[in-house]
Amino acid sequence: MIELDVNNISKNFGGLQALNSVTFQIRGPELVGLIGPNGAGKTTLTNILDGAIKPSRGTVYLNSRRIDTLPPYQVARCGLGRTFQVTRAFRRMTVLENLMVPALAMHPTARQRDFRDKAMTVLEFLTIEHLANDYGRSLSGGQQKLLELGRLLMLDPDIIILDEPFAGVHPKLMEIIYEYITTVNAQGKAFIIISHDMDTIFTLSQRLLVLNFGELIADGAPDVVRHDPAVIEAYLGEEEPPEAMEETYLGKTEGDSKDA
Amino acid sequence: MEHAYYFWWALLWIIGWGAVGGIVTPRIYSKKDLDVSQAALAGTAIGAAGGPFALAPLWYLTPRLNWKWVVVPGVVILAIFAASFAAADPNNLCVTNGPFVATQVTNGLIVGIIYGLMALGLTLIFSIVGIVSFAHGEFYMIGGMAVYYFTVVWFPGMSPFWGILLAAALTFALGAAFELLFLRVMNTGKVERPDEYAILVTFGLSFFLQYFTLALVGANPKKVQRFLDFPAFGLPSANHPTVLKVTSSTVNLFNTISISSPRLTAALMSLVLLGLLLWFLQKTWLGKALRAVSQDRAAAVTGINPDTMNTLAFGIGTMLAGLAGAALVQVFSWVPWVGTLASARGFVIIVLGGMGSLPGAFIGGLIVGVVEALGAGCVPDPQRAAAYIPAYGMVILTLVLLLKPTGLFGREL
Amino acid sequence: MSQSKWIWGLTIGGTLLLVLAPLKLQSQPYIMHIAIVAFFYAILASSWSLLAGYAGQFSFGHMAFMAIGAYSTGLYGKFVRLTTAPTHICKEIPLGKYWLVIMNIYGNNCLEAGKANMPVGTLIYRLPAFQGIILGALMGGLFGLLVGVLVLRLRAAYLALFTIGFSEIVRVALNAEIKVTDGPNGLELAPLFPRGVHILGYSFAPTDKLPPYYVMLLLFLLSMGIMHWLSISRFGLFIRSIREDEEAAAALGVHIIRYKVLVFVITSMIAAAAGAVEAHYIGVITPNILLILQMSLVIAMAVIGGLESLLGAAIGAIIIEFALEFLRTSFTIGSVTVDMTTWRLVFFGLLLMITLRFWTSGLIHPLIQRVTRAGVAEETVAKRKAAEG
Repeated sequence: MIELDVNNISKNFGGLQALNSVTFQIRGPELVGLIGPNGAGKTTLTNILDGAIKPSRGTVYLNSRRIDTLPPYQVARCGLGRTFQVTRAFRRMTVLENLMVPALAMHPTARQRDFRDKAMTVLEFLTIEHLANDYGRSLSGGQQKLLELGRLLMLDPDIIILDEPFAGVHPKLMEIIYEYITTVNAQGKAFIIISHDMDTIFTLSQRLLVLNFGELIADGAPDVVRHDPAVIEAYLGEEEPPEAMEETYLGKTEGDSKDA
Repeated sequence: MEHAYYFWWALLWIIGWGAVGGIVTPRIYSKKDLDVSQAALAGTAIGAAGGPFALAPLWYLTPRLNWKWVVVPGVVILAIFAASFAAADPNNLCVTNGPFVATQVTNGLIVGIIYGLMALGLTLIFSIVGIVSFAHGEFYMIGGMAVYYFTVVWFPGMSPFWGILLAAALTFALGAAFELLFLRVMNTGKVERPDEYAILVTFGLSFFLQYFTLALVGANPKKVQRFLDFPAFGLPSANHPTVLKVTSSTVNLFNTISISSPRLTAALMSLVLLGLLLWFLQKTWLGKALRAVSQDRAAAVTGINPDTMNTLAFGIGTMLAGLAGAALVQVFSWVPWVGTLASARGFVIIVLGGMGSLPGAFIGGLIVGVVEALGAGCVPDPQRAAAYIPAYGMVILTLVLLLKPTGLFGREL
Repeated sequence: MSQSKWIWGLTIGGTLLLVLAPLKLQSQPYIMHIAIVAFFYAILASSWSLLAGYAGQFSFGHMAFMAIGAYSTGLYGKFVRLTTAPTHICKEIPLGKYWLVIMNIYGNNCLEAGKANMPVGTLIYRLPAFQGIILGALMGGLFGLLVGVLVLRLRAAYLALFTIGFSEIVRVALNAEIKVTDGPNGLELAPLFPRGVHILGYSFAPTDKLPPYYVMLLLFLLSMGIMHWLSISRFGLFIRSIREDEEAAAALGVHIIRYKVLVFVITSMIAAAAGAVEAHYIGVITPNILLILQMSLVIAMAVIGGLESLLGAAIGAIIIEFALEFLRTSFTIGSVTVDMTTWRLVFFGLLLMITLRFWTSGLIHPLIQRVTRAGVAEETVAKRKAAEG
């Protein structure tokens, strides 16, 4: 049983309150969407869950183990994997080597050849097995995104956080990513997906968390959240959040990562 | 040193408690959920200054920390340092002879101005091109060599003014050409790791320029006559020069502080150049464009081509190094490897002042000048003192990188 | 796979060539000397390529670790003796029948004075060079640990500046502390085999080049073997992922602090061991080995050979060392004498810059890759065709 407990997380940067008493739980293989306007604290929250930054207050427990005090590599080993907003493939390593890094990091005594078959299966699943021996830098942007998803499968965490998995990808690739999320979710992994692509996130997720100015203003099923007055107000009073967001995000895919 | 152990124990005390303060303070502040941005630095300073007597109340009361919590302990540390030094070596010139100390400090400040000029070039390059040039000292060396060859070898009797101007033109052209040939490619995205490429390629340039010059001019030290013979006079009167006494080779203040005139000429020249540089950066269109690019690479939209600005900035940066060399060639004898130490000193200064900060480079230059002068004058055993000159700056460098990598005036990393 | 057979064949062939070369070259001590120095530089260049090329830590302090190794064994030889009787003056540690005597660094030579207290027939031994070499390697590792921990937070230019600073401090201290290190004159060391080598009925004098050739070759092969094994194991994979993206590597479970420090410790130990052997072979070590020139040469060797290839860097170092030696002879054209001792360095400086600018992966490495990756490329092409079809 997967259990993630985020209790009263707050984070200050200088005088800026980036997160204020954020609390939520994940039980079992849920598929959770995390949305909110730019600067709402989504990336900060991800970085706290991942261990990259420490919260000013509050605790995070994963499977009853406290993880907010751990460095990122230990959080990863405890079963929390993530992608980054900007694709971060290891550019001068081959695709296979990219996949071997998390596999070996998780298994201190294993060797590369033990994971070759698993890696090839993962690549086939992501339809990039023909690139196995190519360098990361020779892949297209979308292929690099798939590679990152593949690395997460090798890490084999309980909870996967995806930061903007659909941003700027080809429709055909989007299908593959969509299928990846649903298939892996069905295999028993929980997902937290940050996305500005409202249509996709509302249909994909079973539950939505909405952040605004560092506060968790809504937590519930997509249909309930869609009509929550606080959420509508957060999105500039627009009746339908999806369209309103589409525009703000197009020009601002990179800016968010700065608030970490 | 008669009682050397006073000094070493004091140093051990400072380092030990500084380390304790630096490591423990941030943890206590973060546990109490307070702002930790200054905790490591202030903790180190307070620990080093007061040991457990200062750290205990700090940890108990955890006041809000600002720059004063670093500066005040800093002064105390310097006082402990000086007092323990005086106690350890009571007969040292630096302890017994006030005028000697004053002379050392003044000379340090004067050389520091020139160091500042050179470091200004380095920091200008960093703030606009975004790289640390490891070949900066070589341009300094070439500036001096050019003055020597123009005014002494090729056109004997040429006024130093024209020699300096030609040296500036030469170093500007070399720097700009290098930028065009080797650094511009970084902006095209074809270089996989631009930071490391820049480090290695400028390092290669330094190696190449140094040995190329050596191959051309040989290893014999070059000497240039002082540029300016000061007219002899005194204040209040020529017979009783109690305030100021000027001869052709030295300037003497209050009968205590003596400065050699070539150094003073070089420092004055540097100040004029600094003024010109400031005027250029603040008042001219080109200068404003340069500053705009250093703020934001995307300034291209306003009609400024960042590539051209890079070339210009690199050229101006190397020219400043060349000018510093041209100013100092009359002070020191000149060999092809003078640039190595100058480079190292430049790094110390820009790291101390904060990478990319112009005032930081100037003040860093002054600090390094004074520290080197005091180190050379005060460390007992003159031979050792002289041998350690390059190390004083490096100790500053390592301390700054460990304690406050942004330096005095640096932008956040 | 036939291609891996090729690699094995070339490796074994190359090793055999180096092992058997002295049969032919033994009569030419000059060539033997260059070969020994070339191995020395090959160890330094390849270990630097592990540090900079694989792990992305562009340290300029590599020669400082080398010098720490050399001076450690030098000072061990200078100040430590084994005697069969106590001096009662020096600091000494009894070891069964023997006493380990540590001479005082400042002041009088206590061993000379202590001879009065020793019975007639007391033997005083210098300790064997290999102990000093191991000590040197350990000291190198210790300083590598220290520097590795201190530079954890520093990146790119800051790391380069810090390591230059470290290297300069070491150089200046070695120059200034004349009573300990003998300063600029250099510290003298005993030869690797003070009494020569007698093996299988052959005898070699202490000045003979053959024994040091094999010692340096052994160290070279050993360190290449260790580094190669590391580079293909998880260690190599992790340090390369750290080079590419520290945060992403950490998010995938890589203990970045451990591996960054470890790579400093390992490469420093290797550099220090090479320095210790070289110092014993040359017989004297001066602080000038820490001049920027020396570091530049190692960097040029690694870059020209191939920064991301241990073998490329090593081969580059060997070729450049031989080239440097053969380009030493100055010549005269008409009335102009060209002083090649300087011009050859100018040439390599230029070559370094041009290689960086136009052949990022070096000159030797692409040749090696041609052999080793040829099969991989074909395999990939075939798979891609299959995927398209």
